[in-house]
Amino acid sequence: MSRTRIRCAAALAAVASLSVLTACSSSSDKGSSDGKVTITVEGWRPGDQKATIASVKQQAADFMKTHKNIKVIPKEWQWKSDTFPAQLAGGTLPTSFRVPFTDTKGLVAHHQVADINDEIMALPYAKQLNPTVLAAAKGTDGKVYGLPSDVYANGLHYNRTLFKKAGLDPDKPPTTWDDVRADAKAIQDKTGMTGYATMTKENQGGWILTTLAYALGGRMETQSGDKYTATVDNDATKQALGYIKSMRWDDKSISGNTSYDWGTINQAFSAGKIGMYVSGSDVYNALVTTNKINPDEYGLAAIPTNGSPDSGALGGGSINVVSAKATKAQQKAAVAWIDYFRVSKLVDKSRGVADAKTLAETKQPIGTPTFPEFDKATWQKQQDWLKPYVNVPQAQMTSFLTGMFTQQLVSEPASQTQALYAALDPVVQKVLADKNADIDSLLKTANANVQGILDKS
Amino acid sequence: MSVDISSRPLVNAEAEAVAGTAGAGASRRARHRLESESRGFTSEFDRRRPAIRWARRAVQIALLIFLLIGALGPLLWLAKSAVTPTQDTLRHPMSIWPHGADWVNLKTAWVDLHLGRYFVNTLIIAFGSWATQMIVATTAGYALSILRPRYGRFLYAMVLATMFVPTVVLLVPLYLTVLDMPVAHVSLINTFWAAFLPAGASAFNVAIMKRFFDNLPTEIIEAARVDGAGDFRMFRSIVLPMSRPVLGVVSVFAVLAAWKDFIWPLIVLPDPSKQPLSVRLPALSQTTELDIFLAALLISTSIPIVFFLIFQRFFLRGGGLDGAVKG
Amino acid sequence: MTLAEPVSGPRRHLSALRGEAGALVFLLPLLLVFGLFSWWPIIRTVVMSFQTTNLVEPAHWVGLDNFREVLSDPLLPTAIKNTCYFALLAFVFGYPVPLVMAVIMSDLRRLRGVYTVLAYLPVVVPPAVAVLLWRVFYDAAPGGVFNTILGWIGIGPVPWLESAHVVMPSLVLEATWAAAGGTVIIYLAALVSVPPELYDAAEVDGAGILRKIRHVTMPHLRGIMLITLILQIIGTAQVFLEPYLFTDGGPDNSSLTVLLLIYNYAFGSTTGNSNYGDATALSLLLAATLAIMSLIYFRVTRSWSDS
Repeated sequence: MSRTRIRCAAALAAVASLSVLTACSSSSDKGSSDGKVTITVEGWRPGDQKATIASVKQQAADFMKTHKNIKVIPKEWQWKSDTFPAQLAGGTLPTSFRVPFTDTKGLVAHHQVADINDEIMALPYAKQLNPTVLAAAKGTDGKVYGLPSDVYANGLHYNRTLFKKAGLDPDKPPTTWDDVRADAKAIQDKTGMTGYATMTKENQGGWILTTLAYALGGRMETQSGDKYTATVDNDATKQALGYIKSMRWDDKSISGNTSYDWGTINQAFSAGKIGMYVSGSDVYNALVTTNKINPDEYGLAAIPTNGSPDSGALGGGSINVVSAKATKAQQKAAVAWIDYFRVSKLVDKSRGVADAKTLAETKQPIGTPTFPEFDKATWQKQQDWLKPYVNVPQAQMTSFLTGMFTQQLVSEPASQTQALYAALDPVVQKVLADKNADIDSLLKTANANVQGILDKS
Repeated sequence: MSVDISSRPLVNAEAEAVAGTAGAGASRRARHRLESESRGFTSEFDRRRPAIRWARRAVQIALLIFLLIGALGPLLWLAKSAVTPTQDTLRHPMSIWPHGADWVNLKTAWVDLHLGRYFVNTLIIAFGSWATQMIVATTAGYALSILRPRYGRFLYAMVLATMFVPTVVLLVPLYLTVLDMPVAHVSLINTFWAAFLPAGASAFNVAIMKRFFDNLPTEIIEAARVDGAGDFRMFRSIVLPMSRPVLGVVSVFAVLAAWKDFIWPLIVLPDPSKQPLSVRLPALSQTTELDIFLAALLISTSIPIVFFLIFQRFFLRGGGLDGAVKG
Repeated sequence: MTLAEPVSGPRRHLSALRGEAGALVFLLPLLLVFGLFSWWPIIRTVVMSFQTTNLVEPAHWVGLDNFREVLSDPLLPTAIKNTCYFALLAFVFGYPVPLVMAVIMSDLRRLRGVYTVLAYLPVVVPPAVAVLLWRVFYDAAPGGVFNTILGWIGIGPVPWLESAHVVMPSLVLEATWAAAGGTVIIYLAALVSVPPELYDAAEVDGAGILRKIRHVTMPHLRGIMLITLILQIIGTAQVFLEPYLFTDGGPDNSSLTVLLLIYNYAFGSTTGNSNYGDATALSLLLAATLAIMSLIYFRVTRSWSDS
């Protein structure tokens, strides 16, 4: 093969491509020729109902009335572990988007998000943000790279109709994992529906397993100085997997359909096929806007803990970050939008009430339990002004709402979180797929894998 | 770019089939032979013996039943379930409309899921990839077969060499190339160009076209030359009109490949408003109720099936050029 | 005859007329498209396999580190094993079916068109749609589509996609359904060319139907059978769509294929820590393996078409 030939062909091709391609690049002009800054922002999830989309568009229109020099284009977008990396590499993310608490540090380390520290610190409430929540938005350099929102604690979601049919009291959800197991069996036996289900894919199997381990007092990694040690194979994880195993194989209350991720388990639950599952406390919003759940069937309980001093609810949330490709003007505009769309409604009464009104008009859920981003007093004030507009069945969430401040909120594993979750997915899958799965040895292997990942970083 | 790689190395046998049958009049002859002249392993004599006649009929009927259940069955089930309420499909998947049909599903799927838009996207991508493939294959085939410059053989070898590298293996570097085009430094991501242009790099098309042009009657081309026809006129007025059969076959498979492609549009068209059906449907499966979703699947399936039934001669004569031989 | 063979013959004297510049104009689309979307990415694969880069930070040369890293990845043996298992299953179940179908169909006097159209129908269903449809069939609940049918004869319920033992056969079953029709057409095309005189001659020699199939039909198909076999192996080495859409490699990596592993290296990190070096290194190893198979294929087709 001749090298000169290749080079010649490549050069020819490149020259010719110039003329063809400049035509394409001009169409994606995001500039500010008329003095306006244009930003694209995460608007709604794929499959969201028309009313949800209309509501987001309405809020964007309102925002542009007060921010004359900004043009906001909301887009359909959802953070998904399987599509996000290609979008990140391709630079096709919206100007502003949400990532899980767990990923900010990694993205910062790889220069994938914009430094908006100054813009954020200039916001009036910057100093009041809950330090533990704000920590998730910081890079290792201590700067703030995004605004937290949608702070949640994982809870136990259950189907009240199935509880009733199984002869259980829908107002008395389980408070221990033995209760969960017994109730799941009752649902399975009496209704034929799946008593309990868990996510298994897209790192979410690991996320929920970690939640269960936390509830039983375990931790997935420990830190001393800069060094992280994997402790995936702790007793609590083993116990959690033990519950899953007995529900799957002894009680058969976890049915054969086990390939669930966040979206499909929501879908199955909303269709009344699942008795109980664990997910974020704010998932009810998605169940309404995407899956059209019947509100009467829905119940939310605090995650059952076992009383050990370390046991608690896994908490997390989203960080609203700005694309590294954004110009400084776009970064400013994006922060203004995030402030407007996600955060100020939590601290500013007039904003909060106005927002509730918009949501109410389009019948969007109001009053779904979230966790305080600021202090408890601010949160309580927000709850008070929201009260007249609440349209979610809060009475069916009593167990969670009373438990949320007594339970310890435990943050997700700090280092390589998604990779750790990814390493746990196969473990959950194996226990569900293989009757004779050896939990101890599976966890031992997973622990070694996680340690390898931690050592590399 | 089609990830349906198996079509690529199939050139030899298939180019032979197409090139061989496509010459003037030859295609009609071949088809004629395919349909009537050809004969199987049983003779008149065999078939007159009752035992053989019955055995043969039994085997043939068994195959027909097998095909009806195996090949058509799943599609019939889809057609049935697409217009059945979700609960009926979940509770009695094999009953036929226990509580009546729900024809509104089709409309809901089309309207609420905006299938129309994704359908148009699919058409745009199919048409654009087809155009790119046609332009590259016909001009290259013409230059390599008729004009034959000195470096032609080398270039042809370079083209054929790419057949050894399956397109899927190039996924990552191809993605990075499209992300930041050499020299021009523009990104084609989220533009249809990202779907059109790489489709053109099909060595299979170039080879099949060149083979076909090689077999065109020399006298006509020479006569045109003597009449003073330039390169371009000869290409347009002589070579292309004579190539209709092979253009048809390549077109059908170009369109079908674009219709079927999944992973490439998945990564280069992250913007939902630009995605084709094959990429959009998996995303919608998470959030759409089962009956509506099945209706969406039915709509997306019926279009290529109709296309196939209309152009079946090209498909079947092409000898399963595209035949993903995986199974 | 093969394509790579130099063209010689009656048109050689036209060469006097050829204009090098004119040819270049016609070759421009080819040079452009192949240059940008085939040759350049191929070169880039080779270059990147010796580098580490995530696109944002500058690339470093790392020698053979990527290859070392890939080859020591505990998931690689799993992926290779699964890919081979898929190929084996596809061979055992998927390979004979189209052959038998084509042989029976070649003996049809009437309705052959109906049979062919039926057999080919699944091939035109978009693969993503086929997988999504079969995902519904594979519902593991006793009330799932396939499990209902199996229930009639007292089998099941089968955990189609949820068990490490069943998942691969399930994927192969769907892949066979989706692809068999294409192979049938190839065999049929070959069978049509069996000279009727051979059957007549065999019959004169007193051969029965089975002997005719064995001594006339099968020998005639031998070449094409070898080709479809190699093509199938090359095709199955690149299985992606089924494991990606059905199971994402699960449960417990039991349907993780080589291509899915490459995809995960490149597009599997949510923090921008993509490993394009590892992805291209493994791509290169896969390409080398496939190139060897393609060479065998070209050898075989050459000797087959020469004979």
